[in-house]
Amino acid sequence: MPLSISSLTSAIPVAGHAAVNAAPIAGKSTDFASLLNGAIQGVEQPRQEANQAIQNLLNGDEELHTVALAAQRADLAFDLGLQVRNKIVSAYQEIMRMQL
Amino acid sequence: MSLFSALSISASGMSAQRTRAELVTENLANAETTRTPEGGPYRRKDAVFQTESVGSPFASVMNSAMDEGAGGVSVAEILVDKREPEQRYMPGHPDAGVNGYVAYPRVNPAEEMVDLMSASNGYQANVASMSALKEMILRSIDLLR
Amino acid sequence: MLHAIDGSLEAYLDLLSVRQKLMATNIANADTPGYKTRDVDFQTEFRSLLEGGQPHATEVTGLKVNNDGNNVSLDREARLLAENALRFSAVSQLVRGQIRILKSAIDEGKNG
Repeated sequence: MPLSISSLTSAIPVAGHAAVNAAPIAGKSTDFASLLNGAIQGVEQPRQEANQAIQNLLNGDEELHTVALAAQRADLAFDLGLQVRNKIVSAYQEIMRMQL
Repeated sequence: MSLFSALSISASGMSAQRTRAELVTENLANAETTRTPEGGPYRRKDAVFQTESVGSPFASVMNSAMDEGAGGVSVAEILVDKREPEQRYMPGHPDAGVNGYVAYPRVNPAEEMVDLMSASNGYQANVASMSALKEMILRSIDLLR
Repeated sequence: MLHAIDGSLEAYLDLLSVRQKLMATNIANADTPGYKTRDVDFQTEFRSLLEGGQPHATEVTGLKVNNDGNNVSLDREARLLAENALRFSAVSQLVRGQIRILKSAIDEGKNG
């Protein structure tokens, strides 16, 4: 189940440019770009652990239930990451709309 | 060692017990055999079991301390009875020696039956073991759903 | 947060697997001369697993040894075999429940 996170990163270039403008308005130290990065990092580790577990299974070194749980964690992380990313992007878009 | 390779442990148990049962059957069938191609009466056979380290289909290095000594079983050798055959006085028998004694196999049907039952129980237990392992693997697969 | 798929439930499943393999070995060697029954001291090894250790198998004491040195009791092994399989089933169900709850929580956020 190799996950591709390129779908998550597609929004970043847009957020990157505007983050510089958005930060002073938001008035907080967490800008959108780093919020998005945070969401994506949260996906990366479980994903790698799942891939490693699958490799181990193929080499005969791992229990199936361990792989199943690692895969479920990666799935959940991905789902969560996706939801968080969507929320961040839509919140950002709303703010951009307000500025016009 | 994963649960998958444990299946081959149970399989080896089934195989060894089956060999044992087959030997009993051969012993019983030849309980009265006074004449064999090798000469002399039939000599009963017995299986000697030995613990084995098991390789799995996906085998990699066994690196866990747990795996030492753990493993299936194999038939190390088949022991042929080396005792002197039983002598029965039967002067008219075609295989009688000059003194009128015929050499008979030392096969005790009661003992053989006890062996057979033991082999059968052992076989059943290994079947149950394999079922339980399979059950756990299936539950693990459920975790993916 | 995602290790809320309880790390200790997973460790329990790990230990049950280890134990089941030992049962399988004991049963396969029920008639091997000199073979001694092996098992794990569940509670001790469970705690050790939670602390990141590796499980250790030990020889079981108190079993009757027969003439050729073998001490496997098929009754004991059969009983534990069944018990293990049931526990595995129960705990894996618990884990599935937790996964379901987390999935719902995440999906709810979609509409929130």
